[in-house]
Amino acid sequence: MGLLDETVSVPRRTMTLFFLIDTSGSMEGNKIGAVNDAVVNVLPMLNDISETNPDAEIKVAALEFSNGVNWLYDEPKLAKDFIWQDVVASGLTSLGAACSELASKLSRSGGFMQSASGSFAPAIILLSDGGPTDDYNSGLAKLKANNWFKSAIKIAIAIGDDADKDVLKEFTGSSEAVITVHNIDALKQIIRVVAVTSSQIGSKSSTAGEITKQEQVVKDIQDATQNIDGAETSDSTSTIDSSQYIDDWG
Amino acid sequence: MELKKGARVNLTFGNQATVIKELGRGGQGIVYLVDLDGQRMALKWYITPPDEKFYKNLERNIRQGAPSDAFIWPEYLTQKENGSFGYIMKLRPSDYFEFGNYLLARKNFKSFNAMLAAAMKICNGFMMLHRFGYSYQDLNDGNFFIRPTDGDVLICDNDNVMPQGEKSGIMGKARYMAPEIVAGGIPDKYSDRFSLSVILFMLFFANHPFEGAKVVACPCMTETFEKRFYGSEAIFIYSPSDKSNLPVRGVHQNVIKRWPLFPSTLKKTFIDQFSEEKLWHPNTRMIEQEWERIISKVRDELVVCPHCHEETFVDIEDNKFKCINCGDDIDVTKQLKLNNRSLILTAGTKLYINHDNTPDAEVDFFPSDKNLLVIRNLTQSCWHIDTPSGKVKVVNPNEFLPILNGLKISFGSSIKEAAGTKGEVIA
Repeated sequence: MGLLDETVSVPRRTMTLFFLIDTSGSMEGNKIGAVNDAVVNVLPMLNDISETNPDAEIKVAALEFSNGVNWLYDEPKLAKDFIWQDVVASGLTSLGAACSELASKLSRSGGFMQSASGSFAPAIILLSDGGPTDDYNSGLAKLKANNWFKSAIKIAIAIGDDADKDVLKEFTGSSEAVITVHNIDALKQIIRVVAVTSSQIGSKSSTAGEITKQEQVVKDIQDATQNIDGAETSDSTSTIDSSQYIDDWG
Repeated sequence: MELKKGARVNLTFGNQATVIKELGRGGQGIVYLVDLDGQRMALKWYITPPDEKFYKNLERNIRQGAPSDAFIWPEYLTQKENGSFGYIMKLRPSDYFEFGNYLLARKNFKSFNAMLAAAMKICNGFMMLHRFGYSYQDLNDGNFFIRPTDGDVLICDNDNVMPQGEKSGIMGKARYMAPEIVAGGIPDKYSDRFSLSVILFMLFFANHPFEGAKVVACPCMTETFEKRFYGSEAIFIYSPSDKSNLPVRGVHQNVIKRWPLFPSTLKKTFIDQFSEEKLWHPNTRMIEQEWERIISKVRDELVVCPHCHEETFVDIEDNKFKCINCGDDIDVTKQLKLNNRSLILTAGTKLYINHDNTPDAEVDFFPSDKNLLVIRNLTQSCWHIDTPSGKVKVVNPNEFLPILNGLKISFGSSIKEAAGTKGEVIA
């Protein structure tokens, strides 16, 4: 049947998944190895989600930051075309510079958001095990003024207890969107869960009703986190301040 | 909690199902292939268990049974164990493909006939669902599985089906929901009817009814914009009164190509169903039976071209009778009149007298004379024919009658749910 064979795919928007990866010296060894391993393994899953999704295709962009910042590719790539080059850890934590760099690419003109049939808001995953060593505030301020960033799904993964969770909370806009991992296995699992969940939800038409995509992603990740040993959402880490407890009895 | 291979889950009626492997996962849960008493079935297992109300609703739906054979309906419920629960349903046969595959042009209908059959089956499924007092709620392109060869449809994800007026908590995708639901309302049969129109439009035209110039111009489809484009500011791409959202050449190619090919009956219905009045007055939306009647009318206008032998639509309302493939004129003088319907008789055309997807008759050539057209009885029962000269003839199953002016057919009991139908041949 000629006419029906001429059918073309519906136009799809693009949803870009950004990985912002801390590659400072403290990430060296197991941590960076786990990140490399987890991202390589999640790419085919993202490809599956993209290829069967009539709403949007998923592209991936990755920015590593240490002494400076570096995009792994100079444009977002389809997951199947994204050949992951292992990132190497050394140097400082230029999170401020990473924020500025991301802000400059979250734009249509000259940036990464040039898709002809438009985009969905991006999903941004920030991974860090420390605190910024540069002027973080001005970079973040610039990013927070960006409209793409404002509507983005934002999740941060804090690797270990040295990660500056206040900074990560500021980045994502809420403590619920910051997941802490305490071991290598949890790190790998969380990267998978966060990347898959934010891609699934971010690349689909939103659900009708009250709940936002960000809220939905956070809820799903929190649910999944309960089953992963060594991973927790920031909320569950809040403990009762013992000094106040003692004061009460004093 | 996820289940491992070999895990056994206890069903509420006492049996156990054994997990064989994972078949897929979605937002809510994982689907496993399971063995249940030697039979292969599917188990949908919730990663995090929905609330008690959801469980009770599933239990009730299982007790009530499926509204029609179009539904892959929950059949058995598991006990609450391993921190969650699930339900057992039939496996989806491998020759059915998710509707999304058709939108992505990875699968195509084999024929317009199959496409119309799919539309009919979806309408019928929704009609039966509403007749049972349910509403579907979570409607989107992932819920329908269609067989490309004949358009048979299976409707899945029926765990969110709820009695009218109740809210499952699982909401459909904004792109498929009625404006009042996008704005936060509770889905009901009226909003289901809107979603049905969206699904049917996408089935026929392979583009979205509200995605035209206005929507393409939006660089970032945030949730706020979705609420506008599919809700408060939704404009049908072929709205006669507002041309601001027309389909865009090079982007919405399917609808631009197909819209002119379909009969006016169908186009007028969509224009009406996506008009401002229907958008904002849910109870004025067309009921499923009416959709069935429209699709049946479109099917009456689907004929095989005598010149190129491809399927083509004629447009009785608009008096357009040129083949959509070869452009030659179609002879429409030979017709079967059924009440107010006119079925065009060209060789190879299948005739559907009732609204199911089984053809009741087919136009064919007399075996030894290619100049004589006949109507073959594809039903299981005989027809009685009154000739103009007063003779009565019997046409048994698989036999035929010639296409001669004035022959009156009594279909007797041969047509399911339309016993006593009568027709007359005009030639």
